[in-house]
Amino acid sequence: MKLLINLNNCIACKACEIACEKEHNGISFITVIETDNTALPITCRHCEKAPCLENCPTKAIYKDKNGTILINQNKCIGCYMCYIACPYGIPVIDIKQSVAFKCDLCQKRINQGLEPICVAVCPTQTLVFDDPIRFAIYKKQNAVKNLIRGAKDEIRFSV
Amino acid sequence: MKKILSICPYCGLGCRFFIKVENNNILGIELYKNGINKGKLCPKGITAIDFIKNKNRLSHPLKLVNNKHLNISWETALKEISNSLLDIKNRYGANSIAFLSSARCSNEENYILQKIARLLGTNNIDHCARLCHSSTIAGLSQTLGAAAQTGSFNDILESNLLFICGYNPAETHPVIMQYIIKAKQQGTKIIVVDPRKTKTSWFADIYLNINPGSDIFLINSIINIIIKNKLYNKNFIYKRTVGFNKLINSTKDYDLDTAEKITGISKDILYKTAITFATAKKAIIMWAMGITQHTTGTNNVIALCNLGLICGYVGKKGCGIFPMRGQNNVQGACDMGALPNVFPGYLKINDDNSKKIEKFWDSNNISSKPGLTIQEILDAISKDKIKALYVMGENPVVSDPDTSHVIKVLKKLELLVVQDIFLTSTARLAHYVLPAAVYAEKEGSFTTSERRVQWNFKAIDPPKEAKPDWEILTLLGKELNLKQINYSSVEDITNEISQLIPNYRGITPERLKEEINGIKWPCPSINHKGTDILHQTKFATPSGKAHFIPVHFKSPKEEIDEEFPFILTTVRIVGHYHTMTMTGKSKSITKRWKEPFAEINPTDANKLNISNNDKIKIITKRGSYICKVKITNNIKPKMIALPWHWGANILTNRLLDPTSKIPAFKINACRIEKV
Repeated sequence: MKLLINLNNCIACKACEIACEKEHNGISFITVIETDNTALPITCRHCEKAPCLENCPTKAIYKDKNGTILINQNKCIGCYMCYIACPYGIPVIDIKQSVAFKCDLCQKRINQGLEPICVAVCPTQTLVFDDPIRFAIYKKQNAVKNLIRGAKDEIRFSV
Repeated sequence: MKKILSICPYCGLGCRFFIKVENNNILGIELYKNGINKGKLCPKGITAIDFIKNKNRLSHPLKLVNNKHLNISWETALKEISNSLLDIKNRYGANSIAFLSSARCSNEENYILQKIARLLGTNNIDHCARLCHSSTIAGLSQTLGAAAQTGSFNDILESNLLFICGYNPAETHPVIMQYIIKAKQQGTKIIVVDPRKTKTSWFADIYLNINPGSDIFLINSIINIIIKNKLYNKNFIYKRTVGFNKLINSTKDYDLDTAEKITGISKDILYKTAITFATAKKAIIMWAMGITQHTTGTNNVIALCNLGLICGYVGKKGCGIFPMRGQNNVQGACDMGALPNVFPGYLKINDDNSKKIEKFWDSNNISSKPGLTIQEILDAISKDKIKALYVMGENPVVSDPDTSHVIKVLKKLELLVVQDIFLTSTARLAHYVLPAAVYAEKEGSFTTSERRVQWNFKAIDPPKEAKPDWEILTLLGKELNLKQINYSSVEDITNEISQLIPNYRGITPERLKEEINGIKWPCPSINHKGTDILHQTKFATPSGKAHFIPVHFKSPKEEIDEEFPFILTTVRIVGHYHTMTMTGKSKSITKRWKEPFAEINPTDANKLNISNNDKIKIITKRGSYICKVKITNNIKPKMIALPWHWGANILTNRLLDPTSKIPAFKINACRIEKV
């Protein structure tokens, strides 16, 4: 299961940001960026080949059995390498504790069989927690439906 | 730990969530997947518990002594208030007293406040529906006979077309976007009409960026195209409506060339819109403040009804006329008769009906003369005709147009009582302030935009001496010697409502607590399962038929001139709610939505030499307001959009729609200066 995104749905309501911050003691790991009449939430992609993990000098960053990239704060030295390496600018260094934090896919909720909180609240299904293969099939089906619909509309409105 | 099922206290969708409670402390929110929100929440919903334990909550009755609010006991407060009310009534008559009820309070609380007002002998009771959908009520009553959303939110998923007009759900009802987006993915076409390129318009197949105030011209010209192309629903019109010939005559001169000039929308797009709408087979018309808050508000609504009716888009699945309601119980407050021109259940105020009500309430004091609306109440205060105002859960100083005028007027009162959860700008002026419980601290029923009545369960106790509004009002009733205000539980009131209002007949507290996802009215008997779609076989008008009513375009009343060359329109943003009494107390909200930004077009910004984030002063005939600027092409030149939450009503005008008396918040003449 991966945290995936439907590209055209976001309305920049920031419900995900607030839900995340309530789940994680006041720090939000997801950020909604709005530009030019579109918006998208950006958070840890839990990369298969994670640059943060590869560049962590103390091996504080690791991948668990589900493929989730996690940080062991006890090993973190706050060197900002993950921060520099991440192509999306996701990790947050907590100055008070001098260690890095980032999206943990809501481990507490996952262990209870729930979705990450950002996905659970998102009112537009921009954020989804799904099997990537199933997600791809769904996208293909939608693309085909849209093509057929477009063709029908062309006939209907070409009078 | 307990989990209590609650109803979101903000907009009219009626989203549900659990409140997690331990030892009278709130631990957090847990999502509930079986409500209309399907577990989803917007930023207001997720933070809906943030303000409850705020240290500034009112927790003692207060009395204004030498310009300071001092704590007093409930006993003294209620005694002094009732003595003063009765004294004013004796000296100036019952109509010298007025009441403002609240769309944020339960059905029971609205019912009991209007009952107190009417038992005292006045129909001067109104609430903030006056400011949002009063023109909808006036329009729908005349055309369809029932002032409510005709279908259910699920109809959105069954529809082929959504005609979204003057309504921005992406900002105001984010949770309904899941229905709209899902419909779009299934092939539903979306038409958005708005002078601003809103976030909702991102989802539009056709976007009409209309000139502000030209709605009737747009709709009449669309009707004209549909009629000329014979795309109307002949069968439906013949069987279910009256007045079609009058409609044909009244719209035949709304030609495309003039429409293009007046609405600012090209002929091609107008034509395409009309054809798409008429050939959709199933369509829903949705609207909100962009239609209602005009001097032509009622006629705007009637025009939209005419449009829906000629295609027969009412009374069946996937169709509907949807006024989208903005408060958790604005539908309920109207149903309960917290309005000056109707008794509970929209019973018109006249001799016969006041006799009926007298009999039901065992009173001989019910006035058969309609009372005053909010703006008329303020006018009457300024003319010394109203001396006492009792406000429950409203903040007219921030929510009503022309703030300076409102403050000046309220200061003239002999008695101002405000019953609220925080010391709002209005409460600051009050002679007595009574501390009320919030939604999570009381029980009662609330009615959503789709007429769904849901039971709200109590999670925690109110702070210190604060009490649920229905309890305060029951105590006040006793103090006023009104023997008919005699309730030992909130359920007593729910039962009385179901006995009086036919549409609520089968909606009892026992059922609501059992059927936790609610019952949609009309529910005429205890075995009735509620009604998803209104007007399926006949309309709620006396004749059973829908009425076409010709309406004509009129220019907005506020004139744009050389001194005030810009049109100011007030808008909302997703993070805040109305006067910010509640959202303003959540850090998660205030750090993301700190301050208002006025949106202006780049061409105007260039002319005035203004850059992004610069401060500007907006000036109208009423007052001036300073805020930062966001430059964007989403707004038309010569227009400026400003969120009203932070007090922008200092700028707005008091021009009213003649039928519904709704103020025209959406069009104000202004000028801009760089600060």
